[in-house]
Amino acid sequence: MALLLKAEHASETEEFESTPKVVKFVVVKKREEDHAQRAELTSFEEAMLPHLDAAHNLARWLLRNEQDAQDVVQEAYLRAFKSFAGFHGSNGRAWLLTIVRNTSYTLLKKNRAVDLTTTFDEEIHAAGYESVSPATILEHSENAELIREAMDELPAEFREILTLRHQEGLSYKEIADIAEIPPGTVMSRLARARAKLGECLAARMSKEK
Amino acid sequence: MNCEEVTKLMDGYLDGELDPITSQTIEQHLLECRNCAQAYKTHGALIRALGNAAPYYKAPAELRERIQSSLRKEIGERPTRNGEQSIWSLFPRKRSEPRTVLFGTSWNWLALAATILLAAIIGWNLLPRLQRPGTDQLLATQLIASHVRSLMANHLTDVASSDQHTVKPWLDAKLDFAPPVVDLASEGFPLIGGRLDYLDNRPVAALVYQRRKHFINVFVWPGGAAAARPAMAMSHQGYQLLHWADPDFNYWIVSDVSANDLQTFKQQFEAQTSHH
Repeated sequence: MALLLKAEHASETEEFESTPKVVKFVVVKKREEDHAQRAELTSFEEAMLPHLDAAHNLARWLLRNEQDAQDVVQEAYLRAFKSFAGFHGSNGRAWLLTIVRNTSYTLLKKNRAVDLTTTFDEEIHAAGYESVSPATILEHSENAELIREAMDELPAEFREILTLRHQEGLSYKEIADIAEIPPGTVMSRLARARAKLGECLAARMSKEK
Repeated sequence: MNCEEVTKLMDGYLDGELDPITSQTIEQHLLECRNCAQAYKTHGALIRALGNAAPYYKAPAELRERIQSSLRKEIGERPTRNGEQSIWSLFPRKRSEPRTVLFGTSWNWLALAATILLAAIIGWNLLPRLQRPGTDQLLATQLIASHVRSLMANHLTDVASSDQHTVKPWLDAKLDFAPPVVDLASEGFPLIGGRLDYLDNRPVAALVYQRRKHFINVFVWPGGAAAARPAMAMSHQGYQLLHWADPDFNYWIVSDVSANDLQTFKQQFEAQTSHH
């Protein structure tokens, strides 16, 4: 009986003695880590939050839905933060937009959006654009709603390239990096996107008349 | 170059992404060919309409908050590799102990206080020396803050006009110098207006230009006796800054447009001011 008591006591002391050392080590280690993480978060936010509008705008055009756009942007910022340590470039906006774009496509594919690429025959649709005069386009050029509707009709790859070029003012090289296409393809895709938009606008204008 | 080739390159031409020689060839063709000139006009109108009228969806304020709090949650909840979770669960009743171990004795507090004091003394002596070469950095931070504030508080301009002959007299009357104001609308940088600002311990003129959906703030104030200073570009907190000086004025441009756009803007701005 006495022997048993003694053994129990011994193990308790041992536990007590070993505890402080281990715990102290862990606490110090954790504080250092916390500190480093906070510093990383601060520099991430300084570099990336200025591009929040650009990120939101791209996602909103790609998804055509405000709630989805916000979810995607939030997810994209989390992803960006996790890989921020590997980002050494100077073009933060292009880097972030690449992640926003990829996150958007993941959702579009999940929702089985059928409009990822152009599938319909462009020859047939090409007729309308030519018949609309520059004056008519200029006349309607202030009509934001008309342009928005026409743009929303386009496939995602066209909406994406028009946003990147016309709203973000990115160069062909930057667009090629973000959209993951060869630089030589940017001009022809932009040309097709604009021609298609012209047709959609023309169709809407003739309907309005 | 025939019409078909010109049509193929039209977009690159309008976007200014072709090499100079090809551009010149197309320019020549447009002078000679009515059909292509017409197509150029139509296409250009469409492109400008797109840049100006397509709605730009700014992020709502709550999205920023949502992102910031999700990032904070991310660093708070990220599992650590040294397995402290399992150690905590081994001694559930002694959770409060580590604090006592670390900070419990007055000896630790004294050491902490001494460290802070030492750091403060070192910092006090060292900081001014470190900051001296970084006055541009300091100014850059001020400039960005001013740029962001101008967009945030709905106070982009004091005088809103795309007419340089309205903006300039207004600024001249308010300041003790006459900043150059130029019209760059045909270069794709329409003037939005002017504003008074306070930077580097003096009132300065802020000219506001637009590039597509983005704004460019040009801060101007008289330079010292110092001679012209070549252009210096920097990127800070995600913004592009460009600084130069001529014998009369100091110029700082701040914007979130691409570095290329800003360089173009600077060249146009300088070219126009030298005419005056």
